[in-house]
Amino acid sequence: MNIATVSRVTETRWQAVVGDRIVGHGDVSQRPDGRRFVSIDVWRDEVFDRLATAILADLPTPLHTVVGEADFDLRSRWEQAGFTLERREWEYVLSTDPRETGLDALCPPTGVTFLRGGDVDEGLLHALDRAIREEVEATVGWQTMPAEVLPRPAGRTVGDPSKYTVAVRNGAYVGLVRVAPVPRRARVGLIAVRADHRRRGVGRALLAHTLGSLHRAGTASAWAEADESNTAALTLLESIGAQRTGSNLELVHH
Amino acid sequence: MARTAHGLEVEGTVVECLRNATFKVELQNGHHVLAHISGKIRKNYIKILPFDRVLVEVSPYDLTRGRILYRYRT
Repeated sequence: MNIATVSRVTETRWQAVVGDRIVGHGDVSQRPDGRRFVSIDVWRDEVFDRLATAILADLPTPLHTVVGEADFDLRSRWEQAGFTLERREWEYVLSTDPRETGLDALCPPTGVTFLRGGDVDEGLLHALDRAIREEVEATVGWQTMPAEVLPRPAGRTVGDPSKYTVAVRNGAYVGLVRVAPVPRRARVGLIAVRADHRRRGVGRALLAHTLGSLHRAGTASAWAEADESNTAALTLLESIGAQRTGSNLELVHH
Repeated sequence: MARTAHGLEVEGTVVECLRNATFKVELQNGHHVLAHISGKIRKNYIKILPFDRVLVEVSPYDLTRGRILYRYRT
């Protein structure tokens, strides 16, 4: 079997080539928080280690990568390259039926109302999102927050405002939930409450409102993710009967 | 079907999620491939579900194997 030639072809890409055929490549990208995430795709298994070696030789550590819990082969390859488990993000499936979640009898906290989609003031929504992000960055940090990272214009963290429902108390926006569109299985992408309004049932009420709306629209289930260290999120999800279906693992090489 | 420096890129639809992070994908020509997700999709936590339309790169070594490069927006 011909030996592959491994080389760095751009600042962010390495290739393994046999003859004129690319048999594998490795890539690195930088998250907004500065962390570098690497990935390797190969058609020939023996090329993986060589690409990993090349990447590790070229880049400063720490380096991060993501693998599915069920992807035993890939996890094993990264571990052989020196990566170790840093965190786990659980995936949950949630029923939207209020009789199953137990949320049918839940009333919102006093003075809290909800605004959906087109009724949300976009400027206030952006301000709420920024305030919550600053609170997260000042405490646990976004590295422990699950995120489907989609490309957006620089500086924008709110994508489509129609995906949001906002909790309002005395005219102030205090919490938000973002749900990806149906007919794909609805996904609770983000649920967050301002720090000074937590532990008062706003998050649970937001979730109840959102799941109830999905149920009435004919959507039977939704899914969500939560970091295993985020006990508030895990408790909230599991208290309404959410079922774990798997997890994503973040590995790191120091 | 497009031929790139990497291999053949074909659109398809995910018909089943299998073990070990693989997916059965029905290509436009009716053929089925077993596909892993690409590192880029994995890194970005992009979820692949049945009925998703995807772009698959077919292995140059085994035409029944592939890699999901892209999930189209629905």
